[in-house]
Amino acid sequence: MSAITLNNVIKRYGAVQVVHGVDLDIEQGEFVVLLGPSGCGKTTTLRMVAGLEDVSGGELSIGGRVVNDVAPKDRGVAMVFQNYALYPHMTVRQNMEFALRPMKLPKAEVDRRIGDTAEILGLSELLARRPAQLSGGQRQRVAMGRAMVRTPDVFLFDEPLSNLDAKLRTQVRWEIGKLHQRLGTTVLYVTHDQVEAMTLADKIVIMRDGHVEQVGTPEEVYGNPRTTFVATFIGSPSMNMIEARVDSGRLVAAGLSAAIPARFADKVSEGQAVTLGIRPVELKIASGDEPGAMQAQVEVTEYLGNEALLDLRVGSHELVAEVPADQRADPGDMIHIRLNEAAIHLFDTASGQSLAH
Amino acid sequence: MAYIRKRNRRIFLIFLLPAMLVLFLTTIYPMIYAGYLSFRSYDLAKLFVPRVFVGWSNYAEVIGSSEFIHSLITTFKLMAMTLSVQLVLGVGIALIVTQKLPGMPLARTLLMIPMMISPVIVGLVWLFLYFPELGYLNYFLSFLGIESIPWITSTNWALWAIAIADIWQWTPFVMMGTAAALQSLSPEPYEAAMIDGNSRWDVFTRVTLPQLKPVLVSLMFLRAIDAFKIYDIIFVLTKGGPGDSTEVLSMFIYRQSFTFWRMGVGAAASFVSLVIIVVLITLFFKSLQREQHA
Amino acid sequence: MKHLKTTALCGSLLAAISGSAFAQGQFDGVELKMLAIGDTSVTRLAPIVDEFEALTGASVQIDMFPYPGLIDKIVIEASSNDPSYQLMWVDSPWVGVLGESGALLDLTDLVLRDAEEIHLDDIIPIQLQENTWQGRLLAFPASGMIWHQNYRKDLYENAEEAAAFEAQYGYPLAPAQTWDHYIDIAEFFTRSAGETLAGEVLEKDFYGNAQAYSRVAGAITHDFFPIMRSYGGQYWDPATGLCAMDGPEAVAAAEVMKRLIPSNPPDYLGLMWDIRTGYMERGEVAQSSYWSVRTVRLTNPDEAVLPTIGEAGYAASPTGDGNPQPTMTGALSFGINSKASEIEQQAAWEFIKWGTSRDMMRRFAEEGSGVSQFHVSILSDPELQARYPYYQVLLDAQENAQRRIFHPFYADVEEVFGVELNKYMAGETDSAQEALTSACTKINTRLAVFPEDLRLRWINDEPAAIFQ
Repeated sequence: MSAITLNNVIKRYGAVQVVHGVDLDIEQGEFVVLLGPSGCGKTTTLRMVAGLEDVSGGELSIGGRVVNDVAPKDRGVAMVFQNYALYPHMTVRQNMEFALRPMKLPKAEVDRRIGDTAEILGLSELLARRPAQLSGGQRQRVAMGRAMVRTPDVFLFDEPLSNLDAKLRTQVRWEIGKLHQRLGTTVLYVTHDQVEAMTLADKIVIMRDGHVEQVGTPEEVYGNPRTTFVATFIGSPSMNMIEARVDSGRLVAAGLSAAIPARFADKVSEGQAVTLGIRPVELKIASGDEPGAMQAQVEVTEYLGNEALLDLRVGSHELVAEVPADQRADPGDMIHIRLNEAAIHLFDTASGQSLAH
Repeated sequence: MAYIRKRNRRIFLIFLLPAMLVLFLTTIYPMIYAGYLSFRSYDLAKLFVPRVFVGWSNYAEVIGSSEFIHSLITTFKLMAMTLSVQLVLGVGIALIVTQKLPGMPLARTLLMIPMMISPVIVGLVWLFLYFPELGYLNYFLSFLGIESIPWITSTNWALWAIAIADIWQWTPFVMMGTAAALQSLSPEPYEAAMIDGNSRWDVFTRVTLPQLKPVLVSLMFLRAIDAFKIYDIIFVLTKGGPGDSTEVLSMFIYRQSFTFWRMGVGAAASFVSLVIIVVLITLFFKSLQREQHA
Repeated sequence: MKHLKTTALCGSLLAAISGSAFAQGQFDGVELKMLAIGDTSVTRLAPIVDEFEALTGASVQIDMFPYPGLIDKIVIEASSNDPSYQLMWVDSPWVGVLGESGALLDLTDLVLRDAEEIHLDDIIPIQLQENTWQGRLLAFPASGMIWHQNYRKDLYENAEEAAAFEAQYGYPLAPAQTWDHYIDIAEFFTRSAGETLAGEVLEKDFYGNAQAYSRVAGAITHDFFPIMRSYGGQYWDPATGLCAMDGPEAVAAAEVMKRLIPSNPPDYLGLMWDIRTGYMERGEVAQSSYWSVRTVRLTNPDEAVLPTIGEAGYAASPTGDGNPQPTMTGALSFGINSKASEIEQQAAWEFIKWGTSRDMMRRFAEEGSGVSQFHVSILSDPELQARYPYYQVLLDAQENAQRRIFHPFYADVEEVFGVELNKYMAGETDSAQEALTSACTKINTRLAVFPEDLRLRWINDEPAAIFQ
């Protein structure tokens, strides 16, 4: 049985529709990340699951029960907010106690839950403090603790790391991952940060303009993006996209041409406008006489330690290549590159859909 | 260097002087003079009464006077009546007008009107409403089948009549301060409580109120000081009557000073009440604040 | 310097015209201001002060204020060394405090000088005595003030009501001569809406009586003291000069007022003088005792409803035992600020003579409204008596009248008794005795610091020097 099911879920504000028919199945214990740029509808979708927003259309089920009209408190979910949403006048302990209040548990049970949770999250020393006396990371742990004490069926996270600095973010991200492994509770997690998504998710749901672009494991969405949007959104630096045309069995773009990889041969037709996608790591430095080698001018070199990013001009195209740092060239140099043919992605330009399927 | 500093000090003094002069003439000198009067027998009307130093006897008379004690009690009664209702109503109305509903900004503005009216005018408005026989309030009540109430001519009602007028005028003040505080509260803890399933009452009493408390304490502090000084509305509506049911401190002081013309006794009563207000209100709000920090 | 010259000039002018009342334009350029009440004793005169300016050249500006608070303004004016008012309206009980403070110009010599012109021997003597302090005349009457009762003559003469009354109380219905009867009548006529009165079904409640019970400006004392006096009560102990207003007569008076409460409108605790007279003027009560200053309105359909729906009757105040007691009088008068300049004082005296003259009083009477009269010839004029039936009551009442309180501590008495009596009427104080004793104690505390001979001098009603 799925933990959460969204069936053609729609959100409308007046005449404006912001979430267009989202379908999604979340399995018990799964860590699902809603990923997308701001305004894509991911937070709205999460808030519909939480019950903070009404569902305008479609069906939302949690634990097999349709919850469209069920009050938030009766959905068995707990939520961790971007701004922590702690009660500023209460201590850490009181924050957790208040979350437990509606459950009317015996005092001993309340204390046990708070004690256990504090132990897990390393909050035991901080129980008597107020939020103002805590660091950002500690506050976020308290917010998680407050969600955890209720032992919900589903955890909802709304961009929980975006208020933390980079270093803390990595650490808390790691903690969230560990926590999930330990508790095994279903998690629905919203972020715009692909690194969080890739590291934490069992399943990533990539959204754009209120639509789901692709649902898949991190490997799937990285290795096999279904649309040009997913292709460019996942991966850093972004995938190079080259507008091309199928011409006499080759991919031809201004100033460059490449053979059509065999796996796409029967998926394209003569004259079709296609978009060729190639990740920066798949642009290899080549010698000039290698077959398929193209001349490129280095415009900018970004040294990152192990590797370097080269901003290249190939014909009229601007491409980025990620190369081992010791192979980097200086701005102004003319070099040769070649595409790793096996790593080429091909999309139909008109629809933006991948041609691999 | 020394020259510049000296000149700066002179400029500093020149700029300060007008303000200090005004402060001295309008506040400090009258207070010193009132202090001087409070130790003298000074009858403004009866020029034949000797104007002499009488020591602490004015103070002794004030403190020993049952009328003074009565007026003190009446003042605190009125304070309790107005402050409690203003607090409840002010917070309640603030909760309503801060909802995102159509017309609320307009309602907020309209509700502030009573506050901007001079208390004497407020008194006159309510005099028309309360007026025995001809008052509008009883006229409207008669439609509801309620028998006419002797608002300002009954010792049971008069203090309430005063309180209602004061509540009408100053609830908006509490409402405004509370609404501003409410709007500055972060909405997310409320969503958290909604998901956790905390009842509305729990959320109000344990999340909203504690966060409003510093603002409410300040608002009540200001209102308490005003309530201690309430004068205009009573002067217009009841002049302390009927009986002595609305005889508050300021009326006691007024009567001593301007009906009996015993300026010395009036001044002494003013100082005694000043001490009381400073001590009691400070103690009360200190304890509130302590409780809050504990 | 200039002032001195003007005074000298005017002095010589005065000498030149001595003998005549005043000369045209004699006070050209003199500006007089009067601090006054906005009631009949002034409102009749205020619109015609231009006539005085045309006669004498002195302009008069009358600033009118309500009675409550007016004494405060006058006291402040009197304590100022640079007065802005030369003329002051004086209620006769204020004479003590103003006299002892030297605030008012002694009019004795002026009155004697102009006795003939002002028809001194036509003025009811008690009205003059009212304005004296230690025998000196400090103000001149502009209106009399006599305590008496007003009643609904038409209702008293209604055969049905009269029969019902007699059946119920065992004696005929007539203007009350004792307070017990007064209370009976008040009780008898107190009816609720829906009941009948003189054969007609009442649309709203009808009250047997209206008296002033409000403590504001001591209003209740203005009704209480005349009743106390009608029992033979006195203000002061003649042996000590201390408060005697808690004696048995005072207690009886307070109890009369308390017993009248059920017959009064429900808002009785707020009844001020004008509200109380308003009930009578609208014909909404059967009887109301008050000071004559507003009685004239009961005869004028422009100023009262009663003449259009019924008829007012007038009688002397009831007394404790039904036997005559000296009635209380008062006087509403004009005085001159002792700190005004000499020329202003002269002009002010001319104004007083003009504004209170017998001709002026007769003119007011003939106009159909006006003041409570104080000239014998006017009050006894048969033509005017026919028009103003209460004139005879006023005349009779002053035969054997007694002066109102005139003590320098009158304001204290008015306020302290006002509050204490009002508390008793409101039920906050258990007994009349307790209320009155408490009030007297407060007054005595204030008086005790003064030597006894001074206190005795303050209560001594020295006969006016003008009569000697």
